[in-house]
Amino acid sequence: MVFSLGGYAGQLLHIDLTREKIRKVELSEADCKRFIGGRGMDAKILFDSVSPGTNPLGPGNVVCISTGPITGLLGPTAGRVNVASKSPLTGIYGNSNAGTNFGPEIKYAGYDGIVIRGRAKKPVYISIDDDNVEIRSAKHLWGEGVFETTYRLQEENNGYDTRVAAVGPAAEKGILFGSVIFDFWDAAGRTGIGSVIASKNLKAIAATGTGELRVADPDRYWEVAKEGWQGVLDEPGFKTGEHSSLGTNVCVGWANAQGWLATRNYQESVFEGADLISGEEFRDKFSTKATPIPGGRACMSCPNRCKRFGRIEKGKYAGTKGNIEFEGVGAFGSKCGVSDMEAVFHAYMLANDYGMDCISCGNSIALFMELTELGILTKKDAGGLDLRFGNADAMVEMVHQIGTLKTKLGKLGATGTKRAARKIGKGASKYETTIKGMETIVCDPRASKGFGFGYAVGSRGSDHLRAHPVFEMLRIPKEVGEEIFGSGESTTQETYGGKVNMVVWHENVGAITDSMGTCRFMHASYYAGYPIPEMLAKSKGRKDAHSIKYHDWISAATGMDLDYYGMLEIGDRIINLERALNVRFGIRRKDDTLPRRFIEEPLPSGPAKGQTFPEERLNKMIDRYYKIRGWDLKTGLPHKRKLINAGLEDVAKDLGERKLLAKK
Amino acid sequence: MGKLVFDAELCTGCRACELACSFKKEGVFSPTKSRVRVVKMDEEGLDVPVGCEHCDDAPCIAVCPVNAIKEDFETGAVLIDHDVCIGCRLCIPACPFVAIAHDPVAKGVRKCDLCDGDPECVKWCFTGAIRYVESLEEYRREKRKAIAEKVAETVSEGGTGVSQWYSA
Repeated sequence: MVFSLGGYAGQLLHIDLTREKIRKVELSEADCKRFIGGRGMDAKILFDSVSPGTNPLGPGNVVCISTGPITGLLGPTAGRVNVASKSPLTGIYGNSNAGTNFGPEIKYAGYDGIVIRGRAKKPVYISIDDDNVEIRSAKHLWGEGVFETTYRLQEENNGYDTRVAAVGPAAEKGILFGSVIFDFWDAAGRTGIGSVIASKNLKAIAATGTGELRVADPDRYWEVAKEGWQGVLDEPGFKTGEHSSLGTNVCVGWANAQGWLATRNYQESVFEGADLISGEEFRDKFSTKATPIPGGRACMSCPNRCKRFGRIEKGKYAGTKGNIEFEGVGAFGSKCGVSDMEAVFHAYMLANDYGMDCISCGNSIALFMELTELGILTKKDAGGLDLRFGNADAMVEMVHQIGTLKTKLGKLGATGTKRAARKIGKGASKYETTIKGMETIVCDPRASKGFGFGYAVGSRGSDHLRAHPVFEMLRIPKEVGEEIFGSGESTTQETYGGKVNMVVWHENVGAITDSMGTCRFMHASYYAGYPIPEMLAKSKGRKDAHSIKYHDWISAATGMDLDYYGMLEIGDRIINLERALNVRFGIRRKDDTLPRRFIEEPLPSGPAKGQTFPEERLNKMIDRYYKIRGWDLKTGLPHKRKLINAGLEDVAKDLGERKLLAKK
Repeated sequence: MGKLVFDAELCTGCRACELACSFKKEGVFSPTKSRVRVVKMDEEGLDVPVGCEHCDDAPCIAVCPVNAIKEDFETGAVLIDHDVCIGCRLCIPACPFVAIAHDPVAKGVRKCDLCDGDPECVKWCFTGAIRYVESLEEYRREKRKAIAEKVAETVSEGGTGVSQWYSA
């Protein structure tokens, strides 16, 4: 079978675990053109199959694991996979994205995505070996950690040629932020989709694919891919060693210097122990490979190699090994006030092995620590554990307790900070920082206003990866910001001017990259196709902007004829579709906000000292954002006209029937 | 006369070589169809590129019953003459690197031909894990220098890490 569009494998794998039925269904060409693939396509599948009443952990929920047309092709950062479902943590649209080899593998096996429904009677795993797809018993794997599960599935199947997506024991026991871990170390952690998978009695997916992928215009594709690849290598940040030398953990140093490293549960934004949990520290102490990129590993088809592999050789955590990233280090490090890198690394790998989101887990512990220092939680509540900030042993012990859901605090922590704080009472909710029920990341929104605004409006809650507006962090010349987003202030972190335009634009492009199957870490290229790279190159005295144009890339691969504006329209369409989905789940304007702590409490120290994110300012920005998106200023519901203009007639009809459209 | 040199220590496991090779040779993106493969040992954080070494005394040449495999003295490549090859597949187990694959469509076997002395995989390998070197002596000189520098660094720091990275 040859699909009409290039890049795609051409079919989806539908698996009903209740009926033990496996169906291979050809992709809809119309939907590919409307939503590209990955995140966009997943939102459409969820919109069509999940209702407001669906229990996230019941058999009625649907899990999508999918790729985009670029996933698995040659070209920079083409190794992404997207997972989506109704989130058990937030009760709304949930999705998460990972860089790995699993996505490309399922495409080589012949599937752009896997859609899982129902619930198996007994623990199972799905085995994919090209055309041969089976539901097999996972009795021997149930209760095992992610690492052991992955190892054994490789042994049982095709060894190193088997890619594995697995969930851990925490998800089996009902944690609300269970992660999906690909190939041992690559996590799709946010919004708890691992928990949904475990609730279906599904332990893992083991995949091997030996097929091939074709593109619509091979000659053009080859040129685009080559230029994009070179573009990443020529990026100034790459050359100076941004991701290439230290991985994402390079951000610990930057964040601390710029004053946005969330510290001690967001009480501060600079951490005195930052040097001890930095990328340099990890490289020098734990990296295993020698030269010239210690521990550096890459996802499929990516020159960035931003993963850092390390191992602890001796001491009480000897044997700990794996890849680390900035967010997990921040969650168990600065947020908990812990400056012991061994403990942070160990906690991180424990969280991966239990199969839980590092960010939510770290925030739970940080919250407990602050509540302990305030006297709201007592030592007795913690079973004798001394949960003060900076106590590395207590932090690691709490990871065990949350991962096993055994103790009182472990069980509470496993429900996420919003529910835990509410249950604890005594004003504890003042100290949790969730938006739409999801824990905030390590970048303090008071110090970085574009990021902060992105959290407030993000479709999956408090997270940087809906907008990822790094524009404000890259020290871009003011003129560029003025030209593109209407204000030079859009180039600096603590300011507000132009930030709404900036966030909207980044959300649109981010929706595209998540849907085509590429990574956010192509910053120079991210701004390609638009005047930005040219302006940047000029301002830095370079002639050539060297960047890949996403619309060219998608067009060459698929044969769609996309231009820059057409591409941004698809991005806006995906954001509107996600909004429609969330509106059905009850999201309104009141939910697009920031936690009180960020609005009311000024940062006490560091470069952003005295900063808050004032409510008045936030409200004005949301007004402007809604106007651009075509949503009602009062309720946050989408306007019918807007949805129709965005090519979402079917969505408008559905919301109309449910009376969820804005009144004129 | 050049040789490919595979260096697992420098490999990031991005597999661009596999995709570049399969595209150049077959017009598709498919690691299975690539002449060079990367074994991803994720559990240990290692990636090992494996491909045809174009051996001096190649077992595939020795085992071929119809003399379809020969060394090209100009490029140093060990090449298959597809007009002569009968597709018996004896060369597959004979190769210590299993760098020869059966091609059921073309009814024969396929292997690396060094792209006529301009290997595509090398162009995409930005860390130098796969290199095409004209002079192995020059390669050894460079490598020796890098190793000596690292030893010197470790020794001058008074560290005990030498044995550790030797075993890495």
